[in-house]
Amino acid sequence: MTTATGVIDRRDVSRIPGPLVGLVEFLRMMSKKPVGLIGLIGVLFFLFLAYIAPLIVPLQDAVDVTAIYAKPSLAHPLGTDFQGRDVVNQIVYGGGDIITTAILAALLSTLIAITFGSIAATVGGRIDALILAITDVALTIPSLILLIVIAAIFRPSSFFALAVILALLQWPALLRQIRAQVLSLKERDFVEAARSLDLGLLHIIFREMLPNMRSYIVIHFIIAMTLAIYAQAAIMFLGLVPLSGKNWAIMLYFAYNQGALFFKDSFFYLMGPIMAIALFQLSLVWLASGLEDVFNPRLRN
Amino acid sequence: MSPPLIQLDGVSRTYTTPAGTITAVDNVSMTLEESETICIVGESGCGKTTTGRILAGLLRPSSGRLLFEGADVWEKKGNDLARFRRAVQLVHQDPYASLNPTRTIAQTLAPPLAKHKKAHGKAARAAMISLLERVGLTPPADFLLKYPHQLSGGQRQRVSIARALTVDPRVIVADEAVSMVDVSIRISLLDLLHNLATEFHVTTVLITHDLAVARYFARKGRISVMYLGKVVELANTEPLVSDPAHPYSTALIAAIPEADPTMTRTKKRVTLKGAEVPSLLNLPPGCVFHPRCPLAEPGLCDVVVPTLGDLPGGRSVACHVALRERQPAAELLGVR
Amino acid sequence: MPVLSVRDLSIEYRTRRGPVQAVRDVTFDLEQGETIAIIGESGSGKTTLAVGLIRLSPRSARVTKGEIRYDDGKRAFDVLSLDAERLRRFRWADCAMVFQAALSAFNPVITIWEQFLDTGRAHGMGDKHKVHDRTKELLDLVHLDPKRVLSAYPHELSGGMRQRVLIAMALLLDPRIVILDEPTTALDILTQRAIIDLLRELRGRLGFSTIFISHDLSIAAELADRMLTMYAGRVVERASVDDLFYRPRHPYSVGLMRAVPRVSGAMGSVVSIPGSPPDLIRLPRGCSYYPRCPFHIEQCLEQDPPLLPVDTPKHEAACIRWEAVAAALGSDAEAPVAEKLA
Repeated sequence: MTTATGVIDRRDVSRIPGPLVGLVEFLRMMSKKPVGLIGLIGVLFFLFLAYIAPLIVPLQDAVDVTAIYAKPSLAHPLGTDFQGRDVVNQIVYGGGDIITTAILAALLSTLIAITFGSIAATVGGRIDALILAITDVALTIPSLILLIVIAAIFRPSSFFALAVILALLQWPALLRQIRAQVLSLKERDFVEAARSLDLGLLHIIFREMLPNMRSYIVIHFIIAMTLAIYAQAAIMFLGLVPLSGKNWAIMLYFAYNQGALFFKDSFFYLMGPIMAIALFQLSLVWLASGLEDVFNPRLRN
Repeated sequence: MSPPLIQLDGVSRTYTTPAGTITAVDNVSMTLEESETICIVGESGCGKTTTGRILAGLLRPSSGRLLFEGADVWEKKGNDLARFRRAVQLVHQDPYASLNPTRTIAQTLAPPLAKHKKAHGKAARAAMISLLERVGLTPPADFLLKYPHQLSGGQRQRVSIARALTVDPRVIVADEAVSMVDVSIRISLLDLLHNLATEFHVTTVLITHDLAVARYFARKGRISVMYLGKVVELANTEPLVSDPAHPYSTALIAAIPEADPTMTRTKKRVTLKGAEVPSLLNLPPGCVFHPRCPLAEPGLCDVVVPTLGDLPGGRSVACHVALRERQPAAELLGVR
Repeated sequence: MPVLSVRDLSIEYRTRRGPVQAVRDVTFDLEQGETIAIIGESGSGKTTLAVGLIRLSPRSARVTKGEIRYDDGKRAFDVLSLDAERLRRFRWADCAMVFQAALSAFNPVITIWEQFLDTGRAHGMGDKHKVHDRTKELLDLVHLDPKRVLSAYPHELSGGMRQRVLIAMALLLDPRIVILDEPTTALDILTQRAIIDLLRELRGRLGFSTIFISHDLSIAAELADRMLTMYAGRVVERASVDDLFYRPRHPYSVGLMRAVPRVSGAMGSVVSIPGSPPDLIRLPRGCSYYPRCPFHIEQCLEQDPPLLPVDTPKHEAACIRWEAVAAALGSDAEAPVAEKLA
């Protein structure tokens, strides 16, 4: 009788796959590459700022003409905007919309890519050719231009609509990756065993293959978020969407159009949202980089 | 008289490549009954793995039929086909690739139990524990939450076998299932597979290139020797091993190095003509073995394709000379 | 005068979980013209030992103690003390290695001739024509047709042909010692037979000393003069090939002999060794074979048993219970173990 001695062959150590065997293990991996850990902290900070801080800090919406572009002071650490409103307060309240839209867009694009990538790879034949053709066309169209055109035509007024539009620009890259992965996983012994046990196509895709593609999906998701944020900043800055609500990109629009460039004291009104966006993006990218190492067993030693 | 459990009837499998047509399996017929142990042996390129996969229903024959309980498998539809799929399970060679690395053992065993035995929660867990015990993994509860990378090669193969057993198969095809496992534990895995046949009436087919393993596993059963896509000999194990009927089997058995210095250094060898195995793209005419065969007769062996014929003692061999002389090649070559 | 004397060689790997004692206190001699087979399974340390002998270990491995003394009558030195330049000259000219003939042993994008040329040049054979002549000579020796093989790419050759090429390449500089790592694993039976016969022939003609590393007992039975069995990084038995097969004294050797079925002759009783090899990072105290050993007693846990001489000459086993093992095997000195214990 063989017993569970927890033997780990030397060959196995280098093949430890994706499953995160506990948060502690995850954090330990991340701490080996500080960039990943810093990214994680940054992302958590901004998420806190965007979703939790607004529950604590009251919104300061009142127009105060006496304090237009006021110098940074204790009351207004980053100064005020063109209507005398506190910049810091706007940054606190400015993250939520952008980040939510980015998450939605990333989620949608990931779902589209997974669904159609898997279908293309498992069904094959003409459907595969069709999906690939559409994907290739989508890949070649310059996305920013397309985004601007679509935004100008459809004038999305809700963030959900905006998220959908952004998602439509992201899915091609991940779809090709998913398709390639599924094509190779299809031939693996354990997938063949699942077929022979008659477990069904849905089970095979979602329970056998997808967990083996976790790293691609998570990292793509994060990168998709960064692209969505840039896209939002671009179209809002260019004034292509109706400017309701407050967020960092809208702050940039107003800052630029209300001449914040020309005053010394309004420097932070312009730089504030830029730094917020840039630092959040950087945190996301560093988090993705750190996760890449966590998911890739061969880079571990 | 009920039909045999599973049967290959004149099965062939060809592949068209830019370089030409490859006949991986050529006109193979085989009948397997319940509780049988049988080994398909041969060297690389002989078609044994392809034959195994055809038996398991994973590969469709280019011609010929696969019959399960008398009915053609590839004509089945719907429920009947699903029933067949479950009845014949394959155990793979590579213990490192046969289990999903992102699933625990429990997560690997649960889906077939849920889908086919409608077992969930506690009932499923009890079923898993009983399966793990049956394959010799004790204490079973310890294994449920482990990932494949935490188990040794032998333990993983046992899990693969347990997984195959979740659907109560009638036939298990083990494709080189012990080749990548440590020598010192091969026997216990072979015993497990053998047990499945004798105690649980599962017909077990072992595909291997190792004749010593074949002899041990199929000691109460049969061995089928394949060469370049054809079955050249099919017989009960002991007679085949001690007195092989086909010149190829004879050469093979004589060539095996044994773990016994005196025996292996004094064993009589059979010298074959020519060192290279012909390519599957360019098979020799007549008997495919004739270019290397010490018994080959020009005019006969290079012209007429031999078919499996019977020799006394319940053995079949595809060799003109052996059949004509009514004697196994081992005797004719003097290596008995 | 042994051509290679290994004393107390110990090699350690650094891993995430801690240092792994892959090879511990290995001691053996290789005489001129002798063939030694080192038998072990996964985790035994045999491959670490093989690559360690010519210092080809990966960077995470470290020799913690021991010496490898080479002495061919003209020069003598400790291989571990060689600097990079002298090591390069030692490798291939004095001691060459034949790897398993997997495709990964070759550079897939250059022809076989270019592999020979590269190897020759890397070890000081500058003249292209000399390398060519020598290569043709060697290919003849291994019964390959130079015209067919030299212009081919590795994937165009069969496993058996690739193994012959690797053997020819190892002999390029006429070494005194050839180390072969699993030379017949993954080869078909008839090809295995051809390679074994070839090695026997080459050994006879060229007179080099050989070290085989394998998990396959039968290749040892075919070619070895002496054998070492390794378990959990240590040598547990050292004996002549007949002594090890017919009169083993270490329970692991006995276990191995009983676990390997044979094709010819009586089958005897074949049985697996229960349990699995120990975790090399957290080795238990005392004898590492204890949990799987049918002969164990309390005393075995006290310390790692040293190699003790047993009842036949030049035969040592690392077991304090060797006499009980001998008694259990009985007095029939020529029958294989599986039959004796049937």
